[in-house]
Amino acid sequence: MNQLSPFEDQLASLLPRLRRFAHALSRDPVDADDLTQATIERALRSKAQWEPGTRLDSWAYRIMRNLWIDTARSRSRKSAHEAPEEEGLNVGEDPREAIDAAVDLKRVMTAMERLPDEQREVVALILVEGFGYREVSEMLGLPIGTVSSRLVRGRTALLAMVGER
Amino acid sequence: MNDEKFFAWLDGELGPAEAAEMEARVAADPQLQRLAEQHRAFGAELKGVFDPVAEAAVPEHLAAMVRPSAQVIDFAAAKRVRSMPALAQWAAMAATLAIGVFAGTQVPRGTDAPVQVQGGKLYAAASLNQALDTALASAPAGGVRIGLTYRDQAGEICRSFTAAAASGLACRNGGRWQMKGLFAAPEGQASDYRMAAGMDPNLAALVGSTMTGEPFDAAQEKAARDKGWR
Repeated sequence: MNQLSPFEDQLASLLPRLRRFAHALSRDPVDADDLTQATIERALRSKAQWEPGTRLDSWAYRIMRNLWIDTARSRSRKSAHEAPEEEGLNVGEDPREAIDAAVDLKRVMTAMERLPDEQREVVALILVEGFGYREVSEMLGLPIGTVSSRLVRGRTALLAMVGER
Repeated sequence: MNDEKFFAWLDGELGPAEAAEMEARVAADPQLQRLAEQHRAFGAELKGVFDPVAEAAVPEHLAAMVRPSAQVIDFAAAKRVRSMPALAQWAAMAATLAIGVFAGTQVPRGTDAPVQVQGGKLYAAASLNQALDTALASAPAGGVRIGLTYRDQAGEICRSFTAAAASGLACRNGGRWQMKGLFAAPEGQASDYRMAAGMDPNLAALVGSTMTGEPFDAAQEKAARDKGWR
């Protein structure tokens, strides 16, 4: 709403989308908000590295994705032995609990969870966040053909897991 | 069958010539048609699962980390105003609004009001929302004329518009059109004159300060509409 749109204001307006991406990456709502918090902290600290006039969203998404990769391995090793699964979905202030189709939700989330990280991030960025192939290729530093083939594999696997109607 | 090309087509990523070629191929192949339908439906389902996160209020502990530097809006004070004629609604509303500074207590909340307040934010509604969703700059809809369409620094699509007694700017936020500014037509200026006149200087300044890159051309505008303004 501020005409001058300083960095913080723009970052604030990105938070809903960043949270959505965090949920798509991490599945667990608590992890997702931890990831969002870490991303905001990193973005505020790295403010000087953002070039005004370029897209802040791509920059912030990249920070989130890199933080996720940094923590994903240790986290998956740890959580494999804890009781994870569906309880997490109904805990706390998870905004998704309002959704009617809880069953669909669970099916989709479980399928996303099973995707390899490199396919899940591409699926989330393009199919959920609405970025174009080229934007994702630049964001992730990957050739566009790699983005495209990961997307094909990811969405095909997801559809197979979720099942046809 | 080149899978990647098929999906690039499905995602609107092919150039016009390649897209037309793939379109023809799909049209002639029931199996491909079915695949396209399945993936379109799945894409919608996937978005349906995650979009509620973006539409929900951001938890306070996160929002507080990036509290906007100028918090000037207090919509809690907004009162109900019922059933005003459309033109009067626009005028009353625009009169209460200045560049991002909403001191207003008269934001109408009747069902026909062109804006509505939700969660402390002002969104396009009714005919304005309809026009922002569907109208192209080349074709006014419901008394609203679309001006420029472009992406802002946050990567969201924004559209400027001119209506009967006001002009303004709305940008996508959580799948809706959030009002970024609304400016009253100068006193005594007839609306039809205004529709034909140039952009309000305040609106032009707001557009200039938020735009990145070039505004969309007609083809980009249409493509963006077809992709749901994402």
